[in-house]
Amino acid sequence: MPPSTDLLQGTLDMLILKTLAPGQEHGWAIAQRIQEMSNNILQIGQGSLYPALHRLEYRGWIRATWGASENNRRARFYALTAAGRKQLEAELENWDRLTGAVNLVLQGA
Amino acid sequence: MLSEWWSRIRFFVTGKKRADVDEELAFHMEREIAANIAAGMSAAEAKRRAMIAFGSRERAREECREERPSYFLESLGRDLRFGLRGLWRNPGFTVMAVLTLGLAIGMNATIFSLFDQALMQTLPVRSPNELVVLNFTGSRSGHLHSEGGDTPGHVHEFSYPMYKDLRDRNTALSGLIAEAPETLGVTWNNHAESVSAELVSGNYFETLGVPPASGRVFGSGDETAPGANPVAVLNFDYWKSHLAEAPVAGKTLLINGTPFTITGVAAPGFHSMVWGHTPAVYVPLTMEQVLTPEWTSLADHKDYWIAIAGRLKPGVTRSEAEASINPLFRALRAEEFKDLSDQSAKDRQDFVGSAYLHVDAGAKGFSPMRGDVQAPLTIILAMVMLVIGMAVVNVASLLLVRAAARAQEISVRYALGATSRQVLRQLLAEGMMLGLAGAALGLALAPEALRLLIHQLSINMEGELPFAAVLNWHVLGWSLVVTMVASLLFSLAPALQFRNPRLAEVMQQRTGTSGGGSLKFRRSCVALQIGFSLLLIVVAGMFVRTISNLRHVETGFATDHLLAFDLNPTLAGYPGNQVAPVEQRVLDATAALPGVRFVGATNDADLTGDDIQGDMVPAGYAGKPDEEFDVELPWVSNGYLQTLGVPLVVGRYFNASDTATSQRVAVVNESFAKHYFGGAQQALGRIVARPKKPGTDASIVGVVRDVKHSSVRDPALATCYTLFSQATRQTGLNFYVRTWQPPDTATASIRAAIANIDGKLIVGNLQTMQETIDANLVAERAIAMLASVFGMLATLLAGIGLYGILAYSTAQRTREIGIRMALGARRTTVVGLILCEVLMLAGGAVAVTIPLAMLATRTVRSELFGVSVADPAVYGAGILIICVVAALAGFIPARRAATVDPASALRTQ
Repeated sequence: MPPSTDLLQGTLDMLILKTLAPGQEHGWAIAQRIQEMSNNILQIGQGSLYPALHRLEYRGWIRATWGASENNRRARFYALTAAGRKQLEAELENWDRLTGAVNLVLQGA
Repeated sequence: MLSEWWSRIRFFVTGKKRADVDEELAFHMEREIAANIAAGMSAAEAKRRAMIAFGSRERAREECREERPSYFLESLGRDLRFGLRGLWRNPGFTVMAVLTLGLAIGMNATIFSLFDQALMQTLPVRSPNELVVLNFTGSRSGHLHSEGGDTPGHVHEFSYPMYKDLRDRNTALSGLIAEAPETLGVTWNNHAESVSAELVSGNYFETLGVPPASGRVFGSGDETAPGANPVAVLNFDYWKSHLAEAPVAGKTLLINGTPFTITGVAAPGFHSMVWGHTPAVYVPLTMEQVLTPEWTSLADHKDYWIAIAGRLKPGVTRSEAEASINPLFRALRAEEFKDLSDQSAKDRQDFVGSAYLHVDAGAKGFSPMRGDVQAPLTIILAMVMLVIGMAVVNVASLLLVRAAARAQEISVRYALGATSRQVLRQLLAEGMMLGLAGAALGLALAPEALRLLIHQLSINMEGELPFAAVLNWHVLGWSLVVTMVASLLFSLAPALQFRNPRLAEVMQQRTGTSGGGSLKFRRSCVALQIGFSLLLIVVAGMFVRTISNLRHVETGFATDHLLAFDLNPTLAGYPGNQVAPVEQRVLDATAALPGVRFVGATNDADLTGDDIQGDMVPAGYAGKPDEEFDVELPWVSNGYLQTLGVPLVVGRYFNASDTATSQRVAVVNESFAKHYFGGAQQALGRIVARPKKPGTDASIVGVVRDVKHSSVRDPALATCYTLFSQATRQTGLNFYVRTWQPPDTATASIRAAIANIDGKLIVGNLQTMQETIDANLVAERAIAMLASVFGMLATLLAGIGLYGILAYSTAQRTREIGIRMALGARRTTVVGLILCEVLMLAGGAVAVTIPLAMLATRTVRSELFGVSVADPAVYGAGILIICVVAALAGFIPARRAATVDPASALRTQ
């Protein structure tokens, strides 16, 4: 089983937002991107990706539209909204603070 | 943040189509499979891998749905639908629970509404929090017309000149208003009626911010030279009930025989700046002399008769206002002091030096009545809380019985994957539904209950009670809070039981043996119910005894066969010098009626809570320094003492030879004679007079026994009776008629006889003495009545609860009983076994409750009369009632147990 449960709580949301930062994507591509970019270390449970996407959409951080995929199939594309961009910034900053703090502790120990 | 909420709301409304989600997921699988094939897998393998990578598609779908903003409501809707079905299937249980809750919540809303109206609501005026009421400490000299007040020692009444000076010369208030209550005779469409009225300052409505509902209300210009402006404003309720909201502005109304022009009607909901006053008409203070010619208070510094209230200027606090107004007050007092007869340094210190004007919060209005109702209402509200506690326990134990039957259902739900949170939520939803249904029922009943209660309380009462039979949002909010808390509590009982997912096993293990957690809990429930009932019965018992004691208290005169009414010729427009003659005609006409033994009259009504007090001292009496000996000073007719039957000690009663022109005479009671003369015999023939009042000297011709006067609770005061025909002033009188027959048989002929003298004369409060006494005991009656109702209800609930638990435990012990009987136990032993259980349970509850009840009743001690908080009869009766109910509840299960057939009992289970 993919170690998706090992992802820190709330991290998945941040990863999705980050993945969408360059431009719109559909769900499958988002999963692929996260996997590739993490050198296949982060394998997100594909089943839990969609609830997360919907959650972000309901919060207004991403917007979904139907469009044509690479192979011309109808697919649902997600894109960051202005609020989503702000949220991503906030989460990245938070993440930096957190990891920085954890690193400090680890190095000091 | 805002866009986030907007987005949620948008999706909450529109949602997401199921097909869209399916299509999205399908697309994902397709791409994954395609990618796998591209990586060189076979079609079957590609599909298998894709499915593994994705996990359960159904779960993903489910989780997507759970993310929806409306998911919470959807699941709540499901819980409610499911709960509703369950409740529908058990109509008996549901009806019982909803009825119990409905009654409790309805009672709570009813009582809380009274509580809220009396103690919590602010006046229905503009910015009530700016209002202040004024009262003062310091000595005074002259007349005080007082209704009482919130703080003992503080005087809430002022003279009109003092009011005017304070109003015109203070700097802290944006307005200072004044009012004085008065009973006036109003004639409308040739129908004369006495109504309560309010004499008010011109700026009254303006400062309070009460607009007219029709026409105009008074303005400052309406407070004119004395007697120059006969105008009136009507109260909205009076306008509605008596004049059917017809246009009245400009019409003429006959008040005390004088035509007044109606200027308009005050806004609905407004009564007075004094909570408890319900005037029908408002007239300017300056019309006082026209309405009550005998009183000329307007220019008199020594007549304390108006209550005053003010509105703070914006930004001024109460303490600032108090600090700024006191120098003015003291200066005005110093001015007044110059005209007083006592001029010693000490008098000056008392009158000027220690005079202090208090500026108190006035948002709820000044009220001499509020203090009287606070204790009774608090007691009743506490009792209602007990009833609610009782209802909660009752519903909880009902739910618990139902829970036992639902164990299987719940364990199946656990087996199908429900989490304990979901089960808990389901149970809470059911509980809330019961609670809300109960609240709906209760709130539907409450207005009617409130109307009935107000009606019940106002029987025999003079005037209107200041309560309205409408529920406001305070009451609704409070009911909702009570409902929620109650629902939470009683839902929790079964919910706690079902937290364990291994429920099925647990329930299975339990069936064999009696006892177990559920039974223990139910036992505690029943014990609590018995405790609550006993507490309520004890309180009811104490107030029933209080009432009975008060009704049969030794007043010193016979209260049966005695009829009372009041009549004031001034209200019919009689000028001062004709008041006494027409009163004498009423006395004579009534005395001539068949069936009448005696007729008498007094200006100081008996047993109504009223007093007329003052100084009356022997001629040439040099009082001890600082002696304050107030005596009761009634003006009576010469048949009054005989009518009441006040026993004569020495000398004689007043008689027909005492007339307006003969030697002035007085009759005193024993306390008076003892205080001033050392004994009854010594008092005879002595002269008494009111200090510094010429023409009040009278010779004592008789001494009578002390009798109760103000109320049945208060001991008799020293009293000096003089004749109204010899009095310095004319006034309305209270008439007493001693009859041969039951007193109410004489009412019609009395009315006819008086109408025969003058149809305009208004006969007020015609009722028997017993009714007068009862009207004065309204608080005690209310508590006794409600406590009895609550106590009965509680006992009934406890009885049902007790029966339930006995039936259950007996059924569980069938096998044990069978064995006992097989081994030779007699039926009586078995019955004894069951009754023993009853007694243990009831006895334990009673033993715990009694000390608590003694503590609780200690808090109501001041309201009791002639009953100790440990009254053995009350407790004995309470315990007896509990025992009878317990025995009744135990009877059926015990009989069933006694008729158990050992053989079949052993075969069962």
